[in-house]
Amino acid sequence: MFSWLDANAITIVNGVALAALLFLIAVGLSLVFGTMDVLNLAHGSIALSGAYIGVGLMGVGATIWHLGLAIAAAAALGLGAGLMLSTMTSKISDHLRQALLTLGIALIAGDILRELFGSDVQSVGPPSELASSVKVFGDPYPVYRLVMIAVGAFVALALYLLLERTKAGAVIRATVADRPMVESMGLRTDVILGGVFAGGAALAAIGGLLAAPILGAQPGLDDTVLLLALVVVVTGGLGSVRGALLGALVVGQAQTLGVALFPEYAPFLLFAAMAAVLLVRPRGLLPATTGAHA
Amino acid sequence: MSGSQRSSRAKRIRSRLSWAALTAAAMTLSACGGGSLSSDSSDGSSSGPVKIGFSVPQSGVYAALGDEMTKGFEFYLEQHDGKLGGHEIAVVKADEGETPQTGVPATTKLVVQDKVSAVVGIVNSATALALKDTFAQSKVPLIIANAGADTLLDDPSDYVWRTSFDNGDLGASLGPEVAKDVGDGTVYMMAPDYAAGHELVDSFKKTFTEAGGQVAGEAFTPFGTTTDWQPYLNKVRESGAKALYVFYGGAEAVNFSKQYAAFGFSGTLPLYAPGFLTEGAALGAAGDAVKGVRESLQYSDLLETDANQQFVKAYREKYDTAPTVFAVQAYDAAAVLDKALEDAETTDGQGIVDAMKNLGDIDSPRGTWHFDDTHDIDQTYYLREVQETPNGLGNVVLGELN
Repeated sequence: MFSWLDANAITIVNGVALAALLFLIAVGLSLVFGTMDVLNLAHGSIALSGAYIGVGLMGVGATIWHLGLAIAAAAALGLGAGLMLSTMTSKISDHLRQALLTLGIALIAGDILRELFGSDVQSVGPPSELASSVKVFGDPYPVYRLVMIAVGAFVALALYLLLERTKAGAVIRATVADRPMVESMGLRTDVILGGVFAGGAALAAIGGLLAAPILGAQPGLDDTVLLLALVVVVTGGLGSVRGALLGALVVGQAQTLGVALFPEYAPFLLFAAMAAVLLVRPRGLLPATTGAHA
Repeated sequence: MSGSQRSSRAKRIRSRLSWAALTAAAMTLSACGGGSLSSDSSDGSSSGPVKIGFSVPQSGVYAALGDEMTKGFEFYLEQHDGKLGGHEIAVVKADEGETPQTGVPATTKLVVQDKVSAVVGIVNSATALALKDTFAQSKVPLIIANAGADTLLDDPSDYVWRTSFDNGDLGASLGPEVAKDVGDGTVYMMAPDYAAGHELVDSFKKTFTEAGGQVAGEAFTPFGTTTDWQPYLNKVRESGAKALYVFYGGAEAVNFSKQYAAFGFSGTLPLYAPGFLTEGAALGAAGDAVKGVRESLQYSDLLETDANQQFVKAYREKYDTAPTVFAVQAYDAAAVLDKALEDAETTDGQGIVDAMKNLGDIDSPRGTWHFDDTHDIDQTYYLREVQETPNGLGNVVLGELN
């Protein structure tokens, strides 16, 4: 048992780091679906745009200040894209038409990004302060990935407090539960929901940016990221921050510890994990019962 | 039933439907790659220029590779005033896309509808394999300028030729060299889990063990969906291997190389690979992570022959970047057509094929090569190492393999 733990401890840690990135990207998709009932298939494109912001702003020798600037730029881009998508989808309640619209936007965005940045893979290094590695369980491990764990935990906690402990969070939850009542109190629900969409998209863009030193930035990454995010939210249950976090942890471990234990089944582990969860809990691990919840 | 009950039930049903849609979306997304079918075609006129089809990926994961091949092909045409063998050439392009589902219809259209005299291109081996019969029936030559599957020319056809490489030869070329380098140590092998990955690992393993090398283990990573190599690299570390042999290309090459460095393997675990790992944009993107990697490939832009240096200089003047092996493969395909059309009695497919049978040696930036009995390329593979050069990192040629 101890030798097993010894051999795989680093892999488990790495699974948590991967889960942190997946959580950052997927939580926006989950919240937008939970609050607005919009299935946003352009979510991966927003994350890829964030990665390309990293390409543009973080060249060789980039410092943590460049990363800060890139995060601000990614957040701004995500907010803008989220507001745009929110306006476009607010009049459409049918999921098929939403999917067609957002998938079309994703295809257009993919082509535009390819025109701007080319079809070659681009790489983004971690900021120089975080580029080193430290010994974890005796083997070198990149500092950047450890920082990602902290960032993921911080964002999860912040979102939890925002939704459960602030007035803004209460308004968001109320909007999902009973929209006419909130409107009768003089609040504009379309603005509130637009804000949620923008916030979710901003998180996706930042997630894509932070993932760039690990996943790179290239055409096709948008599909990969969207797929992973969908699996995360389906596994975790839609609309809740806790669900997205738990889903990300499951998918992260399936992709690392699962691969280490059953390498010959590596291509199937992602969906095997999702299928196993859905067999036991058809609505995911921790679905939101009434829309947005932490 | 009250109104509110009914509406809440409707809501529940609706949300269940959307749930199914979402799950289905997640399942199908893994299977569908983005890609659009597009092709430029000129109107079919029977006389006038000789029509040559050019089918490479313009979309999907291999788009960057297709761009390189297009550059190489067009560069040859430009150097020769748009003529091959003295004939005016009209190039008809098609988008091969990622898979046979896109590549076969797009390329078949060139033969059947556009009635081209020959087709150059094809990145995906499965697409090439599926197209073999079409070309044989139409008596039009397909000049494969990338796809490397061993099996493609196992059953030779007069109408399928290859100017790129053979996975088996490429993998085999590096085996004895690595065996010599690691001595008593063991080597771990890793590649994407698809046909080319297995061919390049198996052929390497064969010559490596024949030369006395010992295998520490092997792993095949899911192609296109692997984003994190840590679990695999951890296994390599546990195995106690003294060196690592991998085959990766494109985005996977860059992500793998960077993670290999990030997890502290640079300098402690020598890396060997077919040269695609650091070819073209991959080298720039991976940067210092791949310094010292030793590779086998049929070309490097730093090859110190007069022919190559002139080629690289002219290519740089036009494109402001060094040529890649993919550009040279397409460049050579154009050179083959140039020679064949010069000798050909007729400019249709059969005329070109008859002339191709007696081409002899082809002078290329990569050195002189010729077609063997199966119409596959017989060429020299070079040992390269990624080193710092006055112009940044480069694939420095250390010598010839084989």
